[in-house]
Amino acid sequence: MNIDIKKQTRVIKENLFSSPVSTLLTFITSYIMISFFRGMFGFATAPDKDWLSVLNNMQLYMVQAYPESDFIRIWICVGLGFIFSGLSVGLWETEEKTSLSKLCLTFSKIVSGIIFLTIIAPTNSVVVSTATGIREQVEVFSYAERIPLLSILIGLLVVFFLISKINLSFNKSLLVSIYLFVPIILLWIMKIPTIQLDSENQRVFPDPLMPIANSTKIPWTLIWISFVVAYLVGVYFKNKKQFKNAVSISWVLLPLLIFSWIFKKPLIDLNELIRNDIPVFIGFLLIGVLTIYLINNKIVEKFYSYYLGFLVVVTIASLFLKVILLVKAALLLLLLFSAIIPAVSTSAKGKRSLTIVWIVSLTTTAFLLEGGTSTTQIVVPGSSIFGGFSLTWLLAIFGTYVSFPLGVLLALGRNSSLPIIRGVCTGIIELVRSVPYITWLFFASVTMAVFLPDGVEFNLIVRVLIVTAFFSGAYFAENIRGGLQSIPKGQFEAADAIGMNTVQKTSLIVLPQALRAIVPTLVSSIITSFKDSSLVTIIGLFDFLTIGRMVIGNQSIPINFIGHDRENLLFIAFVYWIFTFTLSRRSMKFEKRLGLGER
Amino acid sequence: MNKKAIVFLLVFAMVIVACGDTTEEVAVEATEEEHDHEDESTLEQVQERGFLKCGVSTGATGFTEVGDDGSYSGFDVDYCYAVAAAIFGDYSKVEFKQLTSAERFTALSAGEIDVLIRNTTWTQSRDTELGNDFGPTTYYDGQQLMGRVADGLSNSSTVADIDGLRVCTNAGTTTEKNITERVGLAGGTIQLITVEAFSEAIDKFIAGECDIVTTDGSGLVGRRAVNDALNDWVIFPTSPISKEPLGPTYRSNDSQWADIINWTVYATIIADEYGVTKANVDSADLEANPELGRLFGANDGELQTKMGLDAKAYYNVIKQVGNYDEIFSRNLNPLGLYREGGDNDRWADGGLIYAPPAR
Repeated sequence: MNIDIKKQTRVIKENLFSSPVSTLLTFITSYIMISFFRGMFGFATAPDKDWLSVLNNMQLYMVQAYPESDFIRIWICVGLGFIFSGLSVGLWETEEKTSLSKLCLTFSKIVSGIIFLTIIAPTNSVVVSTATGIREQVEVFSYAERIPLLSILIGLLVVFFLISKINLSFNKSLLVSIYLFVPIILLWIMKIPTIQLDSENQRVFPDPLMPIANSTKIPWTLIWISFVVAYLVGVYFKNKKQFKNAVSISWVLLPLLIFSWIFKKPLIDLNELIRNDIPVFIGFLLIGVLTIYLINNKIVEKFYSYYLGFLVVVTIASLFLKVILLVKAALLLLLLFSAIIPAVSTSAKGKRSLTIVWIVSLTTTAFLLEGGTSTTQIVVPGSSIFGGFSLTWLLAIFGTYVSFPLGVLLALGRNSSLPIIRGVCTGIIELVRSVPYITWLFFASVTMAVFLPDGVEFNLIVRVLIVTAFFSGAYFAENIRGGLQSIPKGQFEAADAIGMNTVQKTSLIVLPQALRAIVPTLVSSIITSFKDSSLVTIIGLFDFLTIGRMVIGNQSIPINFIGHDRENLLFIAFVYWIFTFTLSRRSMKFEKRLGLGER
Repeated sequence: MNKKAIVFLLVFAMVIVACGDTTEEVAVEATEEEHDHEDESTLEQVQERGFLKCGVSTGATGFTEVGDDGSYSGFDVDYCYAVAAAIFGDYSKVEFKQLTSAERFTALSAGEIDVLIRNTTWTQSRDTELGNDFGPTTYYDGQQLMGRVADGLSNSSTVADIDGLRVCTNAGTTTEKNITERVGLAGGTIQLITVEAFSEAIDKFIAGECDIVTTDGSGLVGRRAVNDALNDWVIFPTSPISKEPLGPTYRSNDSQWADIINWTVYATIIADEYGVTKANVDSADLEANPELGRLFGANDGELQTKMGLDAKAYYNVIKQVGNYDEIFSRNLNPLGLYREGGDNDRWADGGLIYAPPAR
């Protein structure tokens, strides 16, 4: 541990006590911060605060009323997410090394912070009535109680100091697995008092403490193991380019899979799948691939406009006929696709990539329709299948996944030289942006059903997702447009000079630079949409915040939690903070890797 | 030429698709929907769907609660279960829709829910202007005030005594209107502090940011018991400053549906009058009490089949959910709300809970 004391003192002197005014400001802000912390701590440790209201309702917080017999689906989805994260961490490993002494320095900083907070924490005395009805004054967190904690922490500091002398360096991505390992271990060893009811429905606090999260430790451990295995697999296949591509595509498709997986019941409706979906899917796949490969044939080219005309007629007819939705959607997709084939599929490489795009887009459409409109859905006692943190998370993740590509397209369209495309894109952006999000939510809940074609009935959550995608897409588009405008004209001219076509120019020159320039804005957009998701409470969806604020403070059966809403609000704020803080830290690291602001 | 043809066709297709999508299809769908609504009664829609859509509160202690596993319970929720038991013979065939007080009537008139059982006060304007009808009152509530004994308030205090004090209540409800009206009549002035949810009002009251908190009496009694302040806080005036009859609400002009809801409530009340409970409903003496026999579908004179229900409909209600007294004591006794001597006692004991005879 080589803290340069002199340097540190100089930094503090220069930044905090450089002038009388700045000294005064330093004292005032530190006073405010310390009293804020003391107030918070006093609130959190007061014995009349019932933190069990948070712990006891954890299932409600996470999944609301999702049937317990189907929890396996949620675990599989979470596990899939972790497996792919592990693969990605392994595949895109950065060879960055970190040393043990550096790590110890970080940890000792954190521990010293905790020691400081422990020393300044207040001792508050509260009057509580005990089980026998006698009121008595209780001292919370007295100085005598702090000494063991402080000695442990100081002991830790010494241990870190000793360890830091060992000269050892290891890969940085290995750290991720270690960081994840800590909470998993905590699940097994940490204990909390659980609530039980006796025969008269009175609360009993059993003496032997139960391990925290008793039912979740095994799934989490399995997930951690699969994460590590996936990481090792990723490291092993590091140099396989195809594997990397497959993982990238899987990342795009994963939310869709998860989405339909959680909604459907039974897991796969085999009968429906074999009779309808697979034949339709294969049929359209063949038509699309055939069109791609035959287009440059002289004879076929002659009939191409007839083929398109035929397709237009069939598509329109299908909209009015009673055919399954997949056919309608696939026909529309094929029509759009066929229109761009002649322009793109001139080389063998173009054909190959176009085939991949066709397969992916068709699969995506099929998945979306299956998951979103299926009649065989899981039934829950409430009106919506998602609730709690899973809803917040779904809105944030899915909103970003869909709205980011949408935003890129809208931004490019707005900068297009074709007046029609430019007009449409500008119109969409301005229309979506100029109406408040809450209004769009009401639109989703009340009006959208009228605009959907016959026989299509989207779940409320799907409608909200569509609206969210467009709303944050419009904001993304404006951010990205800002990035596009930051690119000097010389770049375009240089690209033209070496003979690039528009697609190459956009994908190789313009977008990479534009997106790189706006990473901070994009991350703040994602954080905003994560937090904005709590607005869905207004149309009767129960997100993370609503459950803490509206539901738990009203529970009287079987355990009385009436009035314990402030503990829950603090907990919710903490969880939101953890996620947004992690996100912004990750983005800072990402920016560093991209070299933003440095070149 | 080829390219131009393609572009033309594409534009043509887009225009056609756009037209087809927005105008014609929507028109077709809209007329079909209207057709559906005119033809099908609410009962037929519910039976076809296979479950009841019941609008409840987002959270009201004792009336609508969501348990730690996401299950629903409470006084209002039990009446949703009762209606489902009457229609399907299975109380669990309910989908709950949790509604804020702002959207409850819109949801009802838009057909998103079949019946609204969400501690909703029956008022003239809601009955006439909003296209709703109200069922029999299941709970007689009334607005009261809660203050501290330390401020010199007692059970016999009146609205005139709170002159100059700070009053907390939740915004946008009738409680806010009632208190300003009453204080104005008494010739006093108060400083009104409005918050969004009642729990926030109580938090402010505990923190000392307001001297008086006011809402329906049922809410105040519960909170006083929970906060262990029976001797410190006092609820007054003894006769509430407003009448708040709470009961089920449904769309107007569907008398069959109205009858089903009303008689589900009446059935629980009649069963209570005869002392028939969930436990002893199978051993009830139906021969000696022909009214019960008719209600439970055991005698020839039963009327449930004429209402479009199963003859055993109300037997199922009592068997699966219970009578009025059971529903009341199960949900509200733990909060310190009791029937004895109050408005919600049996009519024979001086209360207001009364049902027309079943014959």
